[in-house]
Amino acid sequence: MNLIRAPIMALVLLLSPPSAYAAANVYELEVDGLACPFCAYGVEKRLSTIEGVEKVDVELKKGVVIVTMTAGTALTENQAQRAVRDAGFTLRGFSQIQRGD
Amino acid sequence: MRALRFVGFRRSSAVTDINDSGVAGMPKHLILVFFFGIMGGSHAVFGAPITFNTALPVAKGEFVFRQQFIVSRSGDDPSGADRDRTSQAAVSVLGYGVNRKLAVFGVMPYLSNELKINAGATRVSRSAQGFGDLSVFGRFTVVQRDRPGRNFRVAPFFGIKAPTGEDDATDALGRLPPSVQVGSGSWDPFIGVVATYQTLRYQVDSQLSYRANNEANNFQAGDIARLDGSLQYRLYPRKLTGGVPGFLYGVIEANLIHQDNNRVGGIEDPNSGGTRLFVTPGIQYITKRWIVEGAVQIPISQDLNGTALENDYVARVSVRLNF
Repeated sequence: MNLIRAPIMALVLLLSPPSAYAAANVYELEVDGLACPFCAYGVEKRLSTIEGVEKVDVELKKGVVIVTMTAGTALTENQAQRAVRDAGFTLRGFSQIQRGD
Repeated sequence: MRALRFVGFRRSSAVTDINDSGVAGMPKHLILVFFFGIMGGSHAVFGAPITFNTALPVAKGEFVFRQQFIVSRSGDDPSGADRDRTSQAAVSVLGYGVNRKLAVFGVMPYLSNELKINAGATRVSRSAQGFGDLSVFGRFTVVQRDRPGRNFRVAPFFGIKAPTGEDDATDALGRLPPSVQVGSGSWDPFIGVVATYQTLRYQVDSQLSYRANNEANNFQAGDIARLDGSLQYRLYPRKLTGGVPGFLYGVIEANLIHQDNNRVGGIEDPNSGGTRLFVTPGIQYITKRWIVEGAVQIPISQDLNGTALENDYVARVSVRLNF
């Protein structure tokens, strides 16, 4: 079975675009004031408007937002601060938790 | 003058809204919220309370929409005319975040009003349907204290109700009384302040507001002052896990509403206006993209002037959308 699976996996990797397997920059934003689901959406939408943002995941209980960028793009603290502020909340912390290739 | 007697109490305006403290800061903010509560509120528009507004933000450049369906019944007529008034309203609200502090809202009701009354030996029904008066207002956040998992905000608002609804509808008996018309015919400004304290477990909102009603068609509804309070408590999930789960809130609200006497031809109508206190239990389910909710305003005290018509109940269901 492995004799079949290995070449298929190799083919898939070869044909996939670089972004599919390259590690992306991932950031953790600590956002103060987030306390209900409806408000979380505003933060998601504002962060999603930043160029290069691929995915935004809110962890309501922890008050953190995980932002995953597309390969080759980065998020600055200023960009994050502005997006969170425009959503009506306060950015308390900003850190990169995964470095892209 | 006769038409005024029909009015009693006009269509409720309700058809229409920490960087440092930690847990020790909670009581101070709650006290402030209740202070604003004790002082009123109007315009059921946006955010977490069901019968009035909130101070929670609308993100810059984003829209929020709310559609309410409201049924209000008034009866228990002390005048002997056995008046029975029913108002059904579909109220659409659109909010837009101009920036992180300023949000603007538009409120447009579609109304179906009916008044049944004994006229001699016969029972008469008078009714009107159509779009009512458009209200627009702005809300500006003046206090914002954000902490992990909670926030406190205070936001005054100011707006005006424009006379977009028909105010001179007639039927076979002549011109309809103001309580049946879908529009008031007057430009009526309103002002207020709303305060919100929100945590992951519960939310408290309070609003104080005042609406100055102006004269049109020789009729002036009494000004309205409101004090509203709301507690929303998360019933489900009892324990938060990861991500953004939907919240089921149990809601209890109180609405203290005072209306001055109406005036007809500049003369005060002694059978209009008064003070009402509603208690409003409700339920609310909140997700990231939408909210669905329902509540019933139950009058527990009605100190009305003369033969002003008493409210039986006001029932509301609504949905809100983030888009």
